[in-house]
Amino acid sequence: MKIIACYSNKGGVGKTATSVNLAHALALSGKRTLLCDLDPQGASGFYYRVKPSKKLQHDAFFKDVDKFTKSIRGSDFELLDVLPANMTYRDFDIFLSRMKNSRSRLKKALKAVNNDYDVVLLDCPPNISTLSESVFKAADHIVVPVIPSTLSERTYEQLLTFFDEHKLGKKKLIPVFSMVQRAKKLHLETMERMHKRYKKTFLNAYVPFSTDVEKMGVHRAPVLDFARNRPAAKAYCAIWEELKQRI
Amino acid sequence: MNASFVYQVEAKTLNTGLTSQLGKKLGKYRLALDVPEHTADVQLYDCFDQTIQQSNRVLYRSNDQLTLISQNGLAITQPCDQPVNFVAKLAPGQVKTELADVSPLRALLAGTKGLQKSVQGKLLDGNAKTVARLSIQCWAASPDSNWHCFITFEPVRGYVKAQQAVLKALANNKALQPHQVLSPTLIFNALGYIPSGYDPKPTLHFKGKPNAITVASQIIHTYIDVARANEAGVIADYDTEFLHDYRVSLRKVRSVLSLFKGVYSAPQTISLKQAFSEHMNPTGQLRDLDVYLLEKDRFYSLLPASLHQGLDLMFTQFEKERAAHHHKLSKRFASQAYQQAMAALSAQFSANSNVIKPGPQAKHLAASYAQTLIWKRYQKVCKIARAIDAQTPDEQIHELRIDCKKLRYLMEFFAPLFAAKSIKALIKSLKVLQETLGLFNDYSVQQESLQAYLATHANKGTAQHIAIAQSVGALRSVLSHKQQQERDQVVAKFADFDNDTTRNEFRQLFKQQESS
Ligand SMILES: Nc1ncnc2c1ncn2[C@@H]1O[C@H](COP(=O)(O)OP(=O)(O)OP(=O)(O)O)[C@@H](O)[C@H]1O
Ligand SMILES: [Mg+2]
Repeated sequence: MKIIACYSNKGGVGKTATSVNLAHALALSGKRTLLCDLDPQGASGFYYRVKPSKKLQHDAFFKDVDKFTKSIRGSDFELLDVLPANMTYRDFDIFLSRMKNSRSRLKKALKAVNNDYDVVLLDCPPNISTLSESVFKAADHIVVPVIPSTLSERTYEQLLTFFDEHKLGKKKLIPVFSMVQRAKKLHLETMERMHKRYKKTFLNAYVPFSTDVEKMGVHRAPVLDFARNRPAAKAYCAIWEELKQRI
Repeated sequence: MNASFVYQVEAKTLNTGLTSQLGKKLGKYRLALDVPEHTADVQLYDCFDQTIQQSNRVLYRSNDQLTLISQNGLAITQPCDQPVNFVAKLAPGQVKTELADVSPLRALLAGTKGLQKSVQGKLLDGNAKTVARLSIQCWAASPDSNWHCFITFEPVRGYVKAQQAVLKALANNKALQPHQVLSPTLIFNALGYIPSGYDPKPTLHFKGKPNAITVASQIIHTYIDVARANEAGVIADYDTEFLHDYRVSLRKVRSVLSLFKGVYSAPQTISLKQAFSEHMNPTGQLRDLDVYLLEKDRFYSLLPASLHQGLDLMFTQFEKERAAHHHKLSKRFASQAYQQAMAALSAQFSANSNVIKPGPQAKHLAASYAQTLIWKRYQKVCKIARAIDAQTPDEQIHELRIDCKKLRYLMEFFAPLFAAKSIKALIKSLKVLQETLGLFNDYSVQQESLQAYLATHANKGTAQHIAIAQSVGALRSVLSHKQQQERDQVVAKFADFDNDTTRNEFRQLFKQQESS
């Protein structure tokens, strides 16, 4: 089983869009997939029409592995399950930092579904904190959506620094360009520059800016479901194809 | 949590009834059915002897897919874009693997036809999220007949309440009939399947304490029917087993005539034997050629490639000859004269016929008559077999084979008169011995017939003839070696057969106590 986190230290860059669509692409390619919504906003659960789980009490969550697995919901798509966001996750970070040995507990909880899934995808909330750190440890790979703008370039640099300072394995990081607008010169230049600078770390495939992604909120389904042959849907498949080679 | 339940409902149309009936009972959930526009044609397949149906499976083709449903309702599928005939000729796949038990000699024949539709049902919650699925398999015999729909519930992980709601609605619906699994029997019923009913070895039932002539006539009557059931298949040339079964059945008839001595009057016996021989003889050459052609691959494997040229020539001739013989026999079977002759023969042996002239043993009670015959034959088998050693001429081995065969026929014919379990066990142990003897004989017959073939065919003196002669010569020496190997087995196989238990069983079942 592989754990892939979708993370960025910046908000609104397309983490949820990437997790939701990647999860669907994975399932379509035959991988048994679990999408975990770690964001208290519950956005990825929303896209899959799965209600946030009320039952999960945060202390019970990690004590009782059985409860964790029971709160998993089957999605409308074959091979794809969703672990909905916990309404009481609001204090998720604090909760985790209070817990001693949180990393191994998180890993344990994730291992409880070891036999069930080929890939567990984590849709993370956007900040560096104890939770993120434990996610960094637990994950085998961390997909980082990056909007090709000057600001994002700096944010990504910060993430690398954080990894260095905390002696985390930078090799886990797999950055991918998100919301790319080819009509914007700035986007193209930034992409070229960053490709050069971080040789071979950025995926060649990228997520284009697309109204189909925005429409996901209307359809409440991943783009591959309602706009299968459109560029965004194809992009997510291409990203998975390339990702597969790396993991 | 019982997801392994199937509910059956019969309906004229698929959509309306079910949705409204079930829909009302599902509370806050909504049932959405996805009924496909098109129905798929379904074509069932089975061998003539219904191997597949007998083992409680259904094999069908639909939309270039071949599907096998097993007893527990599990379906496996493989693509199939070629005509279906022999299992060996199917493309590799799961279905082919599962059909490994079907005789390689038997063709899969197209049988009952029907229609099929797969309806997907979804249970939706307030968010239009699927919280349970219903898979509905619908079958119909024809466009005018009712659909038989089988509803299988499939839970979606994490939606326990929805699952309970559906299961309750299904269980409480009086129109739905519950089954453990969607078994082949249910599908057969839905399609109005009528089995061919062919059984190459029908179990005979004798009434009361029959006498010898009743048993003899009943056996003969039965096997004439079995033989005739194969005529159409021979004509259509589906597979070689039709002719084989035809011949085996007539051979059984003839062996009744020769083994049941004194049951029919002597002149009657002679004329009957002759009549049946007249039907048997025209089938011999076709069967011989069938056997050659079935052995084709093996013959090639027995010889080095350098000798394959002769085989190529020979088999080309065989195929041509076979076509001619098949044509001839088909014409014969289809002819009115033949049909009438067979019908007349059969009528003579029907229960209420009395045209057959009885012999002195006719009124002998069948059971004691059988004991006498079987016990005698058994003793003869033992006598020959026990005397066999390395010096015994091959003729003796042949003799043993023939006596074993006669013993087997007698035991099978009279089996209904004896305790089923004991006689079955004895037949089984006899079979093992017969297998070795059978191979011994096959190798010997093949050598002889190859020799005969060489003598009568293949344009003597030509280059062709020389090539064929070389191949046949080599083949004969390989076959002769194999024959010797089987021969060496005979003594050991007989020793296995000739154990205390078997001997006692024979004695108890068949040796008549001398009345003092
Ligand atoms: N490729 C895209 N093209 C167009 N719009 C996009 C694309 N990706 C995401 N968006 C839109 O941008 C917004 C933010 O996207 P998303 O929720 O995926 O980002 P996020 O990183 O998960 O945000 P957060 O940090 O709040 O969790 C959403 O409204 C989404 O519809
Ligand atoms: Mg998000």
